[in-house]
Amino acid sequence: MCGTPDHPSLRVPARRRFLHGMGQGIAGVALAALLDRDRGRALANPVGWTAPDGRPHFAPRAKSVIWLFMNGGVSHMESFDPKPMLTKYGGRTIAETPYADVQNPEKLKLERAMVPDANGQQRNVLFPLQTGFRKHGQSGIEVSDWFPHVARQIDRIAVVRSMWTTDSNHMAQTQFHTGRNMLDGEFPTLGAWVHYGLGSLNDNLPQFVSLGTREYWNKKDGLYLGPAHDAVPLRIDPANPLDFGTPERPMSRQAQEQGFQLIKRLNSLAAADHAPDPATAARIASYELAFRMQSSVPDLVDFSQETEETKTLYGLDQPHCRDFGMQLLAARRMVERGVRFIQIQHGGGGAGAWDAHGDLRNNHTKLSLAVDQPIGALLEDLHRRGLLDETIVVFATEFGRTPGSQGADGRDHHPFAFSVWMAGGGVRGGIAHGATDELGFHAVEHRHYVTDIHATILKLLGLDSHRLEIPGRKRLAIDHGLPIEAILA
Amino acid sequence: MAGLSPTRSLHSGLAWLACVAVRLAVSMGGLSAVAVSAVAAEPLAVYTDTLKPLLAERCYSCHGGLKQEAGLRLDTVSLMRQGGDSGAAIAAGQADASLLLSRVADADPSQRMPPEGEGEPLTPEQVAQVAAWIAAGAPAPANEQPESSPADHWAFQPRVRPAVPAVANAAWVKNPIDAFLSQAHQQQGLSPQPEASRAMLIRRLHLDLIGLPPEPGLIADIEATAASDWYEHLVERLLADPRHGERWGRHWMDVWRYSDWWGLGEEHRNSQKHIWHWRDWIVESLNADLPYDEMLRQMLAADELYPDDPAKLRATGYLARNFFVYNRHQWLDETVEHVGKGLLGLTMNCSKCHDHKYDPIPQADYYRLRAFFEPYHVRLDMVPGEADLSRDGIPRVFDGVCDAPTYLFVRGEESRPDRSRSIPPGVPEFVAFRPISIEPVPLPKIASEPERQPWAAEAHMASARRAVAAAEQAVGEIAAGKDTTVAEAKLAVARASCTSLERRIEAARARWEWEELKTGGDQPPLVRGLARSAVRAERELAVASARQKLAEVEVRKKATDGDPKGAIAADLTSARGELESALAAVDVPGESFTPLVGAAWVQTHFNGTKGKDPIVAFPAVSTGRRRALAEWITDPRHPLTSRVAVNHIWLRHMGQPLVTTMFDFGRKGNAPLNPQVLDWLASELVDSGWSMKHLHRLIVTSAAYRMASSPVGGDATASRDPDNRFLWRREGIRLESQAVRDCMLAIAGTLDSTMGGPPVPTAEQAASRRRSLYFFHSNIDRNRFLTAFDEADVKECYRRDQSIVPQQALALSNAALVHDSAAAIADRLGDASAAAASTATTLDDSGFTARAFVAILGRRPTAAETAVCLESLADWRGQASADGTPAPAGDHSRMQLVWSLLNHTEFLTIR
Repeated sequence: MCGTPDHPSLRVPARRRFLHGMGQGIAGVALAALLDRDRGRALANPVGWTAPDGRPHFAPRAKSVIWLFMNGGVSHMESFDPKPMLTKYGGRTIAETPYADVQNPEKLKLERAMVPDANGQQRNVLFPLQTGFRKHGQSGIEVSDWFPHVARQIDRIAVVRSMWTTDSNHMAQTQFHTGRNMLDGEFPTLGAWVHYGLGSLNDNLPQFVSLGTREYWNKKDGLYLGPAHDAVPLRIDPANPLDFGTPERPMSRQAQEQGFQLIKRLNSLAAADHAPDPATAARIASYELAFRMQSSVPDLVDFSQETEETKTLYGLDQPHCRDFGMQLLAARRMVERGVRFIQIQHGGGGAGAWDAHGDLRNNHTKLSLAVDQPIGALLEDLHRRGLLDETIVVFATEFGRTPGSQGADGRDHHPFAFSVWMAGGGVRGGIAHGATDELGFHAVEHRHYVTDIHATILKLLGLDSHRLEIPGRKRLAIDHGLPIEAILA
Repeated sequence: MAGLSPTRSLHSGLAWLACVAVRLAVSMGGLSAVAVSAVAAEPLAVYTDTLKPLLAERCYSCHGGLKQEAGLRLDTVSLMRQGGDSGAAIAAGQADASLLLSRVADADPSQRMPPEGEGEPLTPEQVAQVAAWIAAGAPAPANEQPESSPADHWAFQPRVRPAVPAVANAAWVKNPIDAFLSQAHQQQGLSPQPEASRAMLIRRLHLDLIGLPPEPGLIADIEATAASDWYEHLVERLLADPRHGERWGRHWMDVWRYSDWWGLGEEHRNSQKHIWHWRDWIVESLNADLPYDEMLRQMLAADELYPDDPAKLRATGYLARNFFVYNRHQWLDETVEHVGKGLLGLTMNCSKCHDHKYDPIPQADYYRLRAFFEPYHVRLDMVPGEADLSRDGIPRVFDGVCDAPTYLFVRGEESRPDRSRSIPPGVPEFVAFRPISIEPVPLPKIASEPERQPWAAEAHMASARRAVAAAEQAVGEIAAGKDTTVAEAKLAVARASCTSLERRIEAARARWEWEELKTGGDQPPLVRGLARSAVRAERELAVASARQKLAEVEVRKKATDGDPKGAIAADLTSARGELESALAAVDVPGESFTPLVGAAWVQTHFNGTKGKDPIVAFPAVSTGRRRALAEWITDPRHPLTSRVAVNHIWLRHMGQPLVTTMFDFGRKGNAPLNPQVLDWLASELVDSGWSMKHLHRLIVTSAAYRMASSPVGGDATASRDPDNRFLWRREGIRLESQAVRDCMLAIAGTLDSTMGGPPVPTAEQAASRRRSLYFFHSNIDRNRFLTAFDEADVKECYRRDQSIVPQQALALSNAALVHDSAAAIADRLGDASAAAASTATTLDDSGFTARAFVAILGRRPTAAETAVCLESLADWRGQASADGTPAPAGDHSRMQLVWSLLNHTEFLTIR
């Protein structure tokens, strides 16, 4: 069905042999059929090219990724990159400080906004820090008072303070996930590349899952890799965790199971009349997986087996962080059960809740309360269960915020510098890597574009992004990025 | 290589070579071990397996068939030895004396090949492999062929109608398509599969031509008929069915990137509101068999070809869809890219930043194509009966900024336009088979002054009268004793507005009539008098509005205790002042009244400022650029247009394209395995007057189309051509997302056959039973159910995905749509049996199973299938209520059987 002269469906791909060899049986056939589709995605003459076989290219340090993304743009200066000069010079213009050169037009050139509206402008009057900072852990890394629980885990965390991007508006959310400015078009996200490159950890579960509010940007991941590599959106609702996860009209489990058996028998009869019929074989397998997913997916978000201590740890008893706590607890359960990539977006509304154009103090106080305890709990919980070593946790956002004030009490979008952090799975803890200038305006030391985060994660997962490239879809050096070796253990 | 830049040639001579040798020695230090091992591994094999592909990727675009920079080609070893302007590129056996090696290994980026920005440098390992291969004598494969010249590329050649061959298997041949295929079968030793069963053909034709399954009664009638031409009759009937336009309209909507508007929340950013007018035009045009060339002409330039025909102007939705409110470059990039890919099979987009690496398309050609589109903007034209353009209007294009320059962007960067010259419209030289003649197009008044459309005045009047009626009703509904001053003031405004409109219409019409007479001179007193009364009526409207405002402030004052801040007093003063000025203005003479609105330019924000861009007016003359482009694209001599169209049509009938790279017919694309089929059909398309129905007819009446898709029985053939490259059997096609849903509703008898009109909003889709192509579908708003089945990507969808994923199984087994349809189908089949049976006996389970198979899969079940179905029916009945989980009351076993069949792989497949 999916064969083209260049990409035969009937030629048994290496991947299928691999899966059969792994004893994964019929589910492997469905996945193999998907990979046949992937073969079809090569645009032209794939001489010497083969689809990924699902195995890492080299020994991985980590198996899974929990990707925490704060929609809207977290202030780097008030989270992980303290800038006392802002307070010192608060109320003065940047031109009046010794650091006027940060606004040198040459240094501002990288900005390319997809949506050039009234935001994303230069804000000249410095806005003092809105919260305090303290040193934490043995490493003594400074973390703002808005993130006390994360601060307690700081020795497990590598903070990267020298990130930069190019879109000064919220399409930078997409840019952070794909590595490309939206003006260049739409490209696969990191999660899709991981999903494309690596085989399944658990054939009963989707391998790439999305939780929370995916705000501004398009809800697609696979793009030219295909819709099979889109994240599967899940809800924290055991009764209805995924689209069409349970019958939308009354039908007993037993009747449905009976139906699935009949479907399988009928499809098998039809396949025999059409043999060889890989498409029908794949469809039979997809029904078996779907049937198992109906029970395995609700289990991911069913917390009845969790202890009260665990629930309290994640803050499930506290209204201000309950929702995010449940998402992170679900994420831990997913990692335990073998979900590869869990993408969690926090902060709905507008272009993202963290987008504090006004009243930054209230905005970030409230939002950090919502995420801090659950994130601290996640790191602690993963560590206690021995999962942190094989799980990469990423805390990210699309850009930083301006050192200058917008209106009386807000900060505007700032693509020139921002902070992200990583922990677990092969990441060195207790390190602050890279630096911004005295105002937090530009990343100046060990500058990293967003794809360096991608490259770091892929390396830890044992993947070489160059080997995942598809003929006809040339990627640039900047798409691949470079691993941030300094933060690797 | 040998001569990269003019300065390089000055460096010829021994001194330079010595210098290179030193650098080379440095850069290759430590690599000799690698080099040795590479040689050990068969230098010839290293060349053919590793180095040749590497050179092809990094070097051939400038030193191969496409271009010969510095006179050098690297596409064969003998050409390397022959060398270019700077001499031989390789000296066999002497790596350190070979320019090829020194240039790829040069430590100086300004000297190294490939040049910066043109390709990645070779890695040290690759350099070592090159060195080792040269050192080993630069062995070459026997008869190494150079790259072909772009001028010889198949798709750039004029289309020639191929002679139809006489073939051995003449009995199989139904039309020339089969003769060409049969010739290939003969050459490859393949035997075509037999014709599919009648039932399968009936279902295949229905799904393919109208996107809906056959009625069981029809299947029975045809299976019973002795008429030998039943097939041709069915084809004609289906091609004449209006649902054919809906089915194929959806295919072309994929290719032409149909999308409803999207943005951030309610803010319109992409595509157009009311773009559905274009969708309706597509459906209607296909049903009317509007020639393909004419469809393209209208989509590209109806505003220049038919400026006073609103029905045809709808076609320009094709271009209006590319609108992007914030960035003109992105908008035009998409236009150039998809005119190239969708209509011409050319990846013009690859030339935005640099010369094309595979096709003879210099960077400037990208901007030459862009220049055709540079002046165009989008506007909404008023439609009869609706004055509010936010509720309806036809999105169409017009040349708004006729002198907009086109600048080449250095390296494709928008921030680096080369303002030294404006690039004129033009087409790539290799397809310039005729001169492009661009003549300005004077537009009729009705295009540049759309308020002259007769329905504009009518729509405005109707809307003004509705406002008066509403205001009268509001006054009438105020309870006795309540204050009516504000309501009455509003009524006065509505009436004054109506009067003002009437006067403006009269004045405008009088002026137009006088203009028609073309007498010249001053306007006659009658015309001027009407203008003065229009002006006066507008001023009286201003007075009424000022009175209303004052009345509102006075009411507010009454309702408020005190006025501590003096705000109301200030408002009162200002409202009284406004009224006074309005009254004073009434008697001031004037003849300049506000023109009516008949269309509105769709506002852009290119300037990146907070404010909107200055309004673009509707010029009286269009540039004629797009008309010229459309005429060139649709010229029967164009080598690409007809071939690309045939490939799209063939793919959707046959399940696989003739050219697998749907949007790339260039040298990087794949050549067709059956080029004669492509060219013969392209000739048929053009010679039939670009009739798509003619093409459909040819394809579906071929023996190739009628073959079974099952490979069973064709083992010997399958072993020779396992991938069916030469079409010895049919390809199964997984139904597209829309067809999955439409078919289910059709079988349930619940499909709402209403055609056309505004799209069904997302929130209403669950309850809607309209065909799926009418669902609102944009980059952001997608239907949940359709999304599971590879819904079209509105950004680019030249070929629909046919994935098989568990989410499809979940959607088909759990969606309310499927359960409701299954129940309706079960009822329907039961009713049918009751109606058919004169006795009161009910249909037994095996009778029901047979009916369900025919209704859902288009065929009767086999004995084995009947047996498993009967078993399941019995099981379901046995377990009813035996289980704690919720189940509907009553016997639903037959509904469950239907539900199972809707999940059958055959339901989802055109076999």
